[in-house]
Amino acid sequence: MRLIIVGGGEVGHALARALSPDHDVFVIDHNPAVGDRFASLDVEFLPGSGTSLSVLRKAGVERSQLFVACTGQDEVNVVACALANQIGSPETICLVSREDFLGADGGSALLREHFGIDRVLWPEAQLAADIVRIIEAPGAIDAEEFLDGRVRLLEYRLEERSPLCAGPLATMHLPRGALVVAVKRGDQYMIPRGSSRLLPGDKVFLMGHPEPMRMIQSRLVTGRPARDRQSVTIVGGGDVGLRIAQQLDRSPDIDLRVIESNSARGEMLAATLSRALVLNGDGTDLELLEAEEIGRSDVLVSVIDNDERNLFASLIGRQLGVRKIITRVSKAGSLRLFERVGVDVPLSARGAAVASIVYGVKGGRSRLLAVLEEGQAEILELAVPAGFVSTPLMDLQAPPDSIVGAIRRGDEVIVPHGDDRIEGGDTLIVFTTAASADQVRDFFGPPAD
Amino acid sequence: MRLAVIVHLLGGIIRIYAVTFAAPILVAAWYGEWRDAYGFLGAGLLTLVIGVVAVRASPGIPDDFRRAEGMAVVSAAWLVVAVLSAIPFVWTGLGPIDALFESMSGLTTTGSTTLVDFSLYGKAFFFWRGLIMWVGGLGVIALFVAVLPRQAIAGRELFFAEAPGPTDEKLTPQLRQTAMALWKLYVGLSAAQVAALLVTGMPLYDAVCNTFATLAAGGFSPHAQSIMGYKNPAAEWVITVFMFLAGANFALQYRVLRGEPGALFCDEEFRAYSGIVVVSSALVAFYLWQAQMPVLAAIRHGAFQVVSILTTTGFASVDFELWSDQPKMVLLALMFIGGCAGSASGGPKVVRHLLVARFTILELARTLHPRAVLPVKLGGRVVPDAVMRAVVVFMLFYLLVFAVCTTIVALLGADLVTAITATIVTLGNTGPGFSRVGPMANFAHLHPLSKIVLTLAMWVGRLELLTVLALLQPGLWRKARWR
Repeated sequence: MRLIIVGGGEVGHALARALSPDHDVFVIDHNPAVGDRFASLDVEFLPGSGTSLSVLRKAGVERSQLFVACTGQDEVNVVACALANQIGSPETICLVSREDFLGADGGSALLREHFGIDRVLWPEAQLAADIVRIIEAPGAIDAEEFLDGRVRLLEYRLEERSPLCAGPLATMHLPRGALVVAVKRGDQYMIPRGSSRLLPGDKVFLMGHPEPMRMIQSRLVTGRPARDRQSVTIVGGGDVGLRIAQQLDRSPDIDLRVIESNSARGEMLAATLSRALVLNGDGTDLELLEAEEIGRSDVLVSVIDNDERNLFASLIGRQLGVRKIITRVSKAGSLRLFERVGVDVPLSARGAAVASIVYGVKGGRSRLLAVLEEGQAEILELAVPAGFVSTPLMDLQAPPDSIVGAIRRGDEVIVPHGDDRIEGGDTLIVFTTAASADQVRDFFGPPAD
Repeated sequence: MRLAVIVHLLGGIIRIYAVTFAAPILVAAWYGEWRDAYGFLGAGLLTLVIGVVAVRASPGIPDDFRRAEGMAVVSAAWLVVAVLSAIPFVWTGLGPIDALFESMSGLTTTGSTTLVDFSLYGKAFFFWRGLIMWVGGLGVIALFVAVLPRQAIAGRELFFAEAPGPTDEKLTPQLRQTAMALWKLYVGLSAAQVAALLVTGMPLYDAVCNTFATLAAGGFSPHAQSIMGYKNPAAEWVITVFMFLAGANFALQYRVLRGEPGALFCDEEFRAYSGIVVVSSALVAFYLWQAQMPVLAAIRHGAFQVVSILTTTGFASVDFELWSDQPKMVLLALMFIGGCAGSASGGPKVVRHLLVARFTILELARTLHPRAVLPVKLGGRVVPDAVMRAVVVFMLFYLLVFAVCTTIVALLGADLVTAITATIVTLGNTGPGFSRVGPMANFAHLHPLSKIVLTLAMWVGRLELLTVLALLQPGLWRKARWR
């Protein structure tokens, strides 16, 4: 398959690395110096503009199947995709970083109709939505929603006092409609059984209907009653920070502070937000953080557009005693480092975008819903073929390290037990480790088309 | 500052204003008050001649009309029109100072009177007193702008100098249409009130005169005992409702009538205004009920008096001078507030109090969070620093002018309560105060100099201080020339 990537930045590089072994990859960037980074990869680098017809022709747009525009400039991405669509008919994916192109309702429909862009990805908005979900699930280090919010996934680190560590899982009496799908102990994943015991320090993944998940959240995991008020500090009022703040600003149970160093931007934030306290200063200014008692925040979100400063702000927050620290990481490679030095939830906007594009190329009858733990685990949506013979879940010869977390049958969503059956036409939400992902994907055979 | 420009515009305004003299002539003729009719005729002709001569003697309006000239025109227009309107009062026997006081009180919709014996004057006299109030309620300049489309640029400067509220509410892109829309609403509300008052059994003449005074938030009644004299509870409720409307933003009411039902209730100022009315009415009614007034009467008089004072109308449904100090204290506090911006009411206006209160609270918060960005917001929008500064300066000037005038009036022999309330009710264009300037008393007994000071206070207060005070800067006049 011939793939063209416009923009040789972080996203372009990660894509090229993931896809070059199996596909013909062309990378276009206006800066020739960028070519050096691609020298070690088996790709063709073309210096030039992604909006230049001659460069696009040179890359063979008319014969390409996939066209990804991921430069730092939204306008360039949109125009490049539109041009590619005029010359050939590749599937076009356009990355945007600002609200302009998607702001109004149906913005992506507009882009599809008039510019022929098949998919618009907005990593920053995705990141902001992820962070908001995690904040709204106090105690959790990750939170995801599937099937329009009818199924939730939460990830917790078990504390010393957690009631879940008291005995075998079977004796825990989890609320109906909730399931412990996986446990991560150290670097090892396991799918727990009724006889399994959980230990403090384990990371547990729970899946289920929203209501029972809420009960678990407060009672079982932390061993503390849920607090009704949360205080949240956001360091960095850029695009991501503003989006998070806007969503949290609506909730009356959250005391919100935003620290922004640019005073004009600070005024704009204060004008836009109605309840949040906007502080004009540097998120790494210890004096300011101490004066404002940032250490007493429940959550610190550091979303400056600079990894080093984010890390610094996060470490200061940790030192001051913030309970949970969520940090934006631009370089996907730094995620583990961030976690090791004490950031609870390091998140990479572009990492998720790259994963979803790569997954789309691999295709199949499945869809990638979420990437967990820096890509070590995945949540997949799997379509069961119509002719599949109804089988109880426990009799299914499922790949190792994978578990069905939810079944959608028509309008119904089931959080299954071993005796629940899988029938033709069902949609499965599956938790799997990355190692088993390929097996899971091909479990029901190759795609129908 | 080009005097020719000022004189020219002034002439134009006066020329149009001359037309209003026709109405009292007709009324006087209808009631057979021929002597008064000649007075109005003479004053009207004099006004017309002055206007025409002023326009002829000065060149037309240049394109580069200046802000200072606008303020000068507006300030001078109100002063000159007040003087011309006082001529019929002098003709009927009032002393010149009292006549000017009465005329300024009417035009600025204050409602303070120097009349001692109402029986000395005819129907046309009281009609004229009400009519100038009604015109002054929406504004001399608003009339001018609505009628004359020609001075497009000048009109803008004048219009906003006359009603310089902190928020410029414009209904249409064209100023003239905005002025017309406001006049239509004003006339429509007036017609509705006259009809409602007729239904309650008030005679036509009284209904018209009281309506003039109600919608202008003025307070001149043709009855010596104000609304109390009619002993008509239904009419009191009708007037309460229309006073409330006169104190609310006209532009927002217009938008409600044009199919935006939320325009009023979404407005923060209107909500605060309504809140003040409800709470104060309940408070006053409670004290009246404690003082042995029947419940329904207490509620009626409580609501009437609170709305009357807050909107700076100044009608009395009861002689509140006889009340105990608690409800009077509530009324005194209301005298310092006023109605909404963009209404016929006077005073500092609810919105300015709202902004200053928010500003103060945010400054308190700043002591805890010295680095916080804390903009003052109104209706979800940030109030620009320049506007906020103007509001604070206005409030400080208001207190300063109040203190200076009170001191002068007190030094000239008035007792303390009289001096304080006489000043605040004239500066805020309210009308009656307490003690010797109470609702059933008058201002005639004050020292002549006090009356002049209070006349100026009404003038300055109606134009919201800064328009007039800005003209006191010497630098402005040093460069004054004819053209």
